[in-house]
Amino acid sequence: MTGATNGHLREITRRTALGALGAGIIGATVASWPRLSGTDIPGRGDNSLSIAIMGTAADAAARQRAIDAFTRLHPEIKVKVQAIQAVDWKDFFTKILTMVAAGTPPDVVYVATEGAQLFAEKLAHPLDEYVRRDAADMAEFFDDVHPSLVEAFMYKGSLYQLPMDWNAANMYYNTTAFAQAGLERPADDWTHVDFRNSLAAMRKARTSDFTPYYWTNRLFGGVVPWLYANDTSFLKETRSAGGEWLWDGFYANDPSRGLRSGGYQWLEPNANDDRVFESFDYLRGLVKDGLGVRPEEGGGSSLVGLFASNRIGTTPAGGYWVQGLHEAGMGESDFDVQFFPRWKTQRHQFGTAGYAIMKTAKDKDAAWEWIKFSSSREAMELIFPNPITTPARRSMVNEQLYAGKGPAHWKVFYDTLDRFPTSGPIPAPPQQAAVETALMKNVSLAVSGDERQLKQALASMQRDLELALRRQS
Amino acid sequence: MSTTTRRPAGQSGKGAAGKAMPAATAGRNATAKSRQGQRWLAWIFLAPTILGMGLFTLIPIVASVVLAFFRWDIISAPTFVGFDNFSEVVQDPTVRVSFLNTILFVVVAVALQLGLALALAIMVQEKMPSWLRVFFRSAFFFPLILSAASVSIFMRYLFNEQFGVVNWFLSLVGIPAVPWLTTPGGSAAVVILVYVWQNFGFSFLLFIGGLASIPVETYEAAAIDGATGWRKHLHVTLPLLSPTTLVASVMAIISALQVFDQPYVLTRGGPGDSTRTAVMVIFESAFQRLEFGQASAIGVLLTLIIMAITAAQFRLSKRFVFYQ
Repeated sequence: MTGATNGHLREITRRTALGALGAGIIGATVASWPRLSGTDIPGRGDNSLSIAIMGTAADAAARQRAIDAFTRLHPEIKVKVQAIQAVDWKDFFTKILTMVAAGTPPDVVYVATEGAQLFAEKLAHPLDEYVRRDAADMAEFFDDVHPSLVEAFMYKGSLYQLPMDWNAANMYYNTTAFAQAGLERPADDWTHVDFRNSLAAMRKARTSDFTPYYWTNRLFGGVVPWLYANDTSFLKETRSAGGEWLWDGFYANDPSRGLRSGGYQWLEPNANDDRVFESFDYLRGLVKDGLGVRPEEGGGSSLVGLFASNRIGTTPAGGYWVQGLHEAGMGESDFDVQFFPRWKTQRHQFGTAGYAIMKTAKDKDAAWEWIKFSSSREAMELIFPNPITTPARRSMVNEQLYAGKGPAHWKVFYDTLDRFPTSGPIPAPPQQAAVETALMKNVSLAVSGDERQLKQALASMQRDLELALRRQS
Repeated sequence: MSTTTRRPAGQSGKGAAGKAMPAATAGRNATAKSRQGQRWLAWIFLAPTILGMGLFTLIPIVASVVLAFFRWDIISAPTFVGFDNFSEVVQDPTVRVSFLNTILFVVVAVALQLGLALALAIMVQEKMPSWLRVFFRSAFFFPLILSAASVSIFMRYLFNEQFGVVNWFLSLVGIPAVPWLTTPGGSAAVVILVYVWQNFGFSFLLFIGGLASIPVETYEAAAIDGATGWRKHLHVTLPLLSPTTLVASVMAIISALQVFDQPYVLTRGGPGDSTRTAVMVIFESAFQRLEFGQASAIGVLLTLIIMAITAAQFRLSKRFVFYQ
C-alpha cells in the first residue's frame, strides 16, 4: 500500500467489517422488500380478478389472447391468470386449498370433475342466478354442449361450473401394431372379448419389447372404464333431485332430457359387487397372460413416448393425446381411436373441466363475466387452438382441429356422448382424494395375484371406501 | 482439549487504557467490556437462527400439538375433539401399517446406508491415490444434492417393468423382467435402493472425516501388536470411529424416519400400502383429505417415536462409544 492511504485500509477491523456487512444485509432487505413480501406480484393488492389454472407459466401466457379479448369487452375488469404447476388434479386442489388457508384464495378456479363436488360442497358459489339472468346469452352455449357434461357439474340441483373441455376414456390403438397382427379397425361395438382377442393377436405377432395393453392405476382411464362398461362401479351411483330449471330451460327438446338430474351422488361403496369382481378378474387375466401390464401408480406421462415408438398396442385416453402424439412424431395414420369396448353396456367414463367462482371471490359479477366470456366460441377457439383436449362445444370438434394430426376417426371423441348419452363422469364425491387413494391402493394388488388375492384386495377396498366416505360427510 | 483461545492479560486494552488508570484495573474493565461486546455479537449472529427456529420450527410444533386436539379442514372453524384424533389414528389400519413400514424401512435403509458408507470410506481412505479419492468423495456426495423428487421420477423410468433399463440389463443375462414397482416386495426394494443411493454420501463424508482423525500411531501400534487387515479395522477403526458412527446413525435414523419423496413419487405408497410411510400418511391426511387434526396427531406420534429412538441411542452410546 502506498503512503497516500497512510495504511488506513489495513486498519479495517473485524467489527467494522461486520458492521458494514450488517448494514449491507439491512440495505438489501429493504431494497428487496417488495419481492420478499410478494407485493411486486402483478395484480396482488389491486382489484384484479384472480384466476387459477393448472399448468405452467406458458399455459398462463397462452391465455393472454383470451384475456386481451375479454379486456376489450370489459375494460373495467382487470384479469390476472395464475398458473399453478401440479402433478395431477389432486395436487392442484391441494395447492388451491393451501392458498385458501393462507388467506390468498383466487377468485376463479379451473376445476376438473375430480374436484367439482369438493368445490361445490365447500368452496364454490352456484351459477344458477347468473345462468337464469343471462339465459338469452347462454342458450347458444348449451345448444352446442352435450347435457352429460353439464350434468357432471350439477350438485344437489345447482350448477357450479360450465364445461369448457372434456375427455372420455376412448381406446387408442397403434395402427402399425394392429397391421403387424393382421388386425383391421375394430367395429364400433366391439366387445371386451374382441378386445382380448386383438391383444392376443398382437402379443403373438410381437413377443418382445411390446405391450399389447398399457394402463395406469388412476381414476381416469384406469379400472373405472371397465367397470362402467360392465354396468357397475366401485361406488354406488345415485342422482339428486332438482335441476329442472336448467334442463327444462335449455335442454327441453334434447332426446336425453329424461336422463338428467340434479347431479350425481356417490354415497356408498360398491367394491363387493359381483360385477366389480368380474371386471377386475378380466383385467387380472390380461395381466396373467402377458396381454396387459400390472398398472403402475400415478400418471401416464411416459406413455406418449412409448406409444409413439410403437411399443404399446392400445391404451385408454381422451382427445388430449392427439397433440402429444403429433409432437412425438406420429403421423395422422399411425394411430387411431375407437369407442371403449362393450361389455354389459358401452357406457363410457369421462372427465370435464370448467371455471368455478369461489365463495370468497371479491367480485362475483366480474367472475361470472369471465366465465360467460370463456364459454363463448371466440374465447374457446383462442384457448384451445390445438387438440390438447376435447372442447366442450360440439361445433369445435371438427375436421379443422385435427387436420394434419389425426386420428382418422376423430369423430369418435364427441360421438361418445351422442352415441352413449348415459356415459358418466369420474366417480368423484367431495371426499374424492380419500376415495381415489382407497381405489388406487388396492387396484394393483387386485390384478396382480391369484383369485384369493383379488378377493382380499376388493374386501380391503370396500373397507377403505367406507372409511373414506364417512370422512367429512 | 479446550479450543478456547484466551488473550494474554494486559494485551486486551490496546495500551490506551493504561494512561488513565492502573494497568490491571484498566485491563479487567477492557476485558469485561470486550466480553460484553462479544456477547452482543454472539446474539446478533444467533438471532437469525433463533428467529428461524422459532418461526418455522417451534411455533409449528406447538401449533400442531394443539391442532392434534381439534378437527379442522382449513375451510371451517376448528372443533375441539379431545383425544379423538389420537384414538382414530391408532385404530386406523393404514396408519399402523405405515408406521410399521417406516420402522422396517429405517432398519434396512439405515443398516445399508451406514454399512455401505463405512465400507466405501475405508476403501477410499486406504486404497486410493489422492486424486481418485477426491473424485469418489464428490461422486458419492453428488446424489445428495439432487432433488429427491427428480431422482425418483428418473428412477421410475429405470425400473419400469416393460421398458426400463434395469430389466433390459437383466434380460441380457437371461433374467426375466422383474415387476419392480408393481409388487409389494419389488417396490419396497426399489424405494430402499433409491433412498440409500441418494443418502449414503452424507454418512460417507462423516466417516471419511472420522477416519482422518484416527492417529496413524494407533494403527502403527496395532500393527506392531500383530493386528492387520480386518482385525485392524475391527479392533482399531470401529472403536475409534464410534463417536462418528453415533452421529451418523442418529442423523440417518432421523432422516429415514421422515422418508417421503422417494416412496411418494416412485410408488405413491403402493401397491396396497406396501410403501406407505408415516410422513406420507401425514401428507395425505392433511393436504389431500383435509384432516389437519388427524395429520397433527400422527405427526405428534412420529415425533415422540423419533425422540424415544434418539434418546435410546444416546443412552446406549454410553456403553458403545469410545472417546480418545
